[in-house]
Amino acid sequence: MLASWKARLFVGLSLSLSVVKASGEQFDEQLTIQSLRDGKVASTFSFKTLLKGVSPRDPRTLGAEDASQHYNVFPLALGQILREYAVTELHLSLNAGRWNYDRWGYPKEPAVGTGAELWAWMGDGGQVSVDHRWMGLRNALAGLFCASLGSLDEQRTTSPDRSFEPEGMLPDWGVPHRIRHATLPSENVCTENLTPFLKLLPCKSLSGIASLLNPHRLFDADWHGMGIHVLWREDEGVEVRLTFQSVSDPVRSSLGRKRDWSFRSLFDRTIDRQCPIAKTSEITVALPSEGSYSINPEPSVVNAGKASFDVATIDKPLDVALQWSGDFQYVSGFDKPITPFSVQRTLRGSSQAHGQLSVIVKNHQNSTQQVVYLETMPWLVQFYLHTLEIRVDGVRRDGIFSDIAYIPAVPHSRPATFQGILTLPPSSALHLTMDVTKSFLRYTEHRPDAQRGWDLPPAVLTVLELDSNTSTARHPVNPRIYTSTLLVDMATPDFSMPYNVIIFTCSLIAFIFGSVFNLLTRKFVVVRID
Amino acid sequence: MDPLPRIPRDPSSLFFQADNVRRYIIGSYWLIIILALPLWWSTTSIERLSLPTSRVISQAQQRLSIPVTISLQAGVESASLAFQLKESINERIIKAPNRWKGLDIQVNHDRLLNKNTDNGVYTITEGTEEPTLQDRRLKHSLQAPALSKLVDLLSDLIVPFSEQDHRVAQFATHYRLSFTLLNEDAAAGAFVNHWPVSNAISRHVSPILTQLAVLHNFTIESQVQYHAPLAFKPQPIGDVYGITPEDLTVFVNSAEWTLSSSASNDPVLHFVLFVPSAARRPLRIMDNRGSLSASNAFLLPQWGGIIILNSVDQKEITPIELSPANMDSIFSTFADHLLTLLGVPKLPSGLKTLSFGEHNTFTEWQLDAVLRFRALENAKGAQDTLQSIVKLVDQIENMPVGQDVKGDVQEALNAIERMYTSSRTSLIETLRHSARALTLSSRAFFNPGMLALLYFPAEHTYAVYTPLFASAFIPLFVAALKEVKAWKKQRRQHNDTAPDVRRLE
Repeated sequence: MLASWKARLFVGLSLSLSVVKASGEQFDEQLTIQSLRDGKVASTFSFKTLLKGVSPRDPRTLGAEDASQHYNVFPLALGQILREYAVTELHLSLNAGRWNYDRWGYPKEPAVGTGAELWAWMGDGGQVSVDHRWMGLRNALAGLFCASLGSLDEQRTTSPDRSFEPEGMLPDWGVPHRIRHATLPSENVCTENLTPFLKLLPCKSLSGIASLLNPHRLFDADWHGMGIHVLWREDEGVEVRLTFQSVSDPVRSSLGRKRDWSFRSLFDRTIDRQCPIAKTSEITVALPSEGSYSINPEPSVVNAGKASFDVATIDKPLDVALQWSGDFQYVSGFDKPITPFSVQRTLRGSSQAHGQLSVIVKNHQNSTQQVVYLETMPWLVQFYLHTLEIRVDGVRRDGIFSDIAYIPAVPHSRPATFQGILTLPPSSALHLTMDVTKSFLRYTEHRPDAQRGWDLPPAVLTVLELDSNTSTARHPVNPRIYTSTLLVDMATPDFSMPYNVIIFTCSLIAFIFGSVFNLLTRKFVVVRID
Repeated sequence: MDPLPRIPRDPSSLFFQADNVRRYIIGSYWLIIILALPLWWSTTSIERLSLPTSRVISQAQQRLSIPVTISLQAGVESASLAFQLKESINERIIKAPNRWKGLDIQVNHDRLLNKNTDNGVYTITEGTEEPTLQDRRLKHSLQAPALSKLVDLLSDLIVPFSEQDHRVAQFATHYRLSFTLLNEDAAAGAFVNHWPVSNAISRHVSPILTQLAVLHNFTIESQVQYHAPLAFKPQPIGDVYGITPEDLTVFVNSAEWTLSSSASNDPVLHFVLFVPSAARRPLRIMDNRGSLSASNAFLLPQWGGIIILNSVDQKEITPIELSPANMDSIFSTFADHLLTLLGVPKLPSGLKTLSFGEHNTFTEWQLDAVLRFRALENAKGAQDTLQSIVKLVDQIENMPVGQDVKGDVQEALNAIERMYTSSRTSLIETLRHSARALTLSSRAFFNPGMLALLYFPAEHTYAVYTPLFASAFIPLFVAALKEVKAWKKQRRQHNDTAPDVRRLE
């Protein structure tokens, strides 16, 4: 009796021990700063929380009571949302400005499309449908991040699985996984989005690298954007990566045409205290390849053109500064593209009913490249697919565009998904044109700023076959290039019109009714005039 | 070109100029308008289904009455003792009717118990030593002088709430229990970064939750925060920092502490372990007179409980893990807070309890008291809500009442009826029906469809209709009026001429 009781106690203890051991949490923070060729400075904050040995919720368990959630570092507010809607992988980005691929190259975080972009991989099965959970997810995230993500509704949701492959792994539950993707290019990122973002960090913005996140300076940058990425890897667990990228322009702010920067000049803050929870807290500065410069303070490690600072050990307050000896001069060819290809997308035509979509893809490589071209177009603009025409260096060519998948738009309900593989001949410019028609909107479908026009989401180009010298080890997924967003001018009514129409119609009806009625009921008599 | 005939045809000889035809035309216009009126009415009116008003009012007059049976087992004297006990309880009821509201106390003395009830019967047996509780049994001295003490004890056990306890959270079938470890400033050193929370919960909280499973479902979650600044500055008193009672009211800094959830609408009970910054330790609570209070925990009514943890070693720089012993003392306080928030009464003092189950933390007497209190509260809440719906719909004429609202109201009434029928037999069933009635009635009350046309005023409708209808109706009216006049005149002429004809004969 006693022995069995002891045995049970032992089993219980070892069980609880194993749970504690397996469910570790780890937080790492990193800041990467790089001077760009045009004198701008790109800074990328990355805060990574790893929940070890945990797998996403199986959607088939959604009806039942969920297991308790106990977190030490992982943000509970986000964990609740992920469990409630059984999301396996989630990517949310809110950006402002256009990422200049030609000058700045690939960004550290690939999601740089203007506006809000949300995509998630979810297991299909169980009582609650994927679309229902997708609706709940975007509403919950809208509440969490104070953003208009609730308007990422069915009219903007597509399932482009070829361009947005999972960055992590999908659990093998025996049920298929589905992707839902939506963009809202007119959404701007601002302080009210950054505040809830900071609250998800274990050290908020009070210590560690996150204390540099000063909204006054970040939102003053030429380009800025934040991202939330949740993914799962079988051998590691659930990873939440919160990122913030900005491109600031020290040349503009220092009138003396200097491109020197320091934490104080970029963020108006210094790191005074380390974040005690962070396992690693590292600042990496990409050192310039030419020119004479000095970096302060002395880096902890210099390796392969990169200077690293370990925030935990270095003297504080920490204010990293990079100074050049001379003034900033634009080097020749500073705007020569560094990405293997560049894209330009425009909408032509001045008519309010018709237009032409034009995409120019320039291949800068000496080899043939294949890219997946994806348009997720709201029903506002509809494609005439038969007018699709592709010219390479001005010569019409067939067989360039293959594997076309097209889901036509349904007016007032569904966007179009148009994707295919473009084969780019070496060192050439490919010109794709297609006629489009602009829909006529219902009176109530216009937004309050109707005269401004409608923002159309960016097209996404994903490189299929990577060249060896452009592949980046950090991203197991192929790099994506977002084109700029478009602004389309729709036929807008005069909004004071309805009452005028009512009055006008009423007068007309009254006039016609009156005359007909009069004719029918008038009594004619012969009056003799002598 | 034909010349015009010199004398045109007499228009009255044309068929459509005949008086009758013209009257038919005007008549048919009016006929169509009158026939179209019901259609117009049905397409423009607001859907207002009739609510079962009379049922709501008649049920509001009924009051739930829960039987409480006390069985006295004292051998031969039982009958007279039971009579005395009943008399003294009745005196108490007359003195404090509000406290005993909704209870139907019966005292009997025979061993044959009513078999068709699973309501527990409280048995009182003779006992010489101090009063002892075991399950639903009470051992108490039954000598005449001890009788008033027994009545005191019984009233404390059966109706522990002398008045409404404002600390008790609103009833819900599902609660979220959120345990949060808040470090005021982890970067200042000596912070707590690990607490063995799941063990502590399973030791101290889970037994309570299992016992309350008939009332509520629970979801448990926990988190640790490392920077949780206060919204005020604690006052330094010597080497101690004090929180004044005014500061306590703003202690929860909801702007900085991320405690709320955006994933669910269930009510949350928060349990916060607050570790003050190393620069501000120890942090103590002050009472109204400005002296330091012995307690370091406090309860925010209907919100949750907060414990301030000062025992962490001040010189420690490395993160601290709380030991199971620390957790035991913290979580026994949290368990106390939880019981208070969920309305589980405390046992009266001077009472010995004997083996009330291996995992149970409170007695059957206490659980029954909660069940009765919640059932009465829910029944009253449901009835009040239903009455408010009926009143509101009656007062605001533009308020639509859809099928879902009507269905919810009817279902709530049915649940109340079932609650009445089950109140004689099963306390748990009574509670279940009362909870359902409350949920349905508040869902009906907060139905968003009832607000649809509340802000679309009638003036707007007239503004759209007048230009159309006024201009069409004026010729119609005038034509009809003219025609009636002409017809009257014609008849008078006809009447006037008729006698002349006779006279001529």
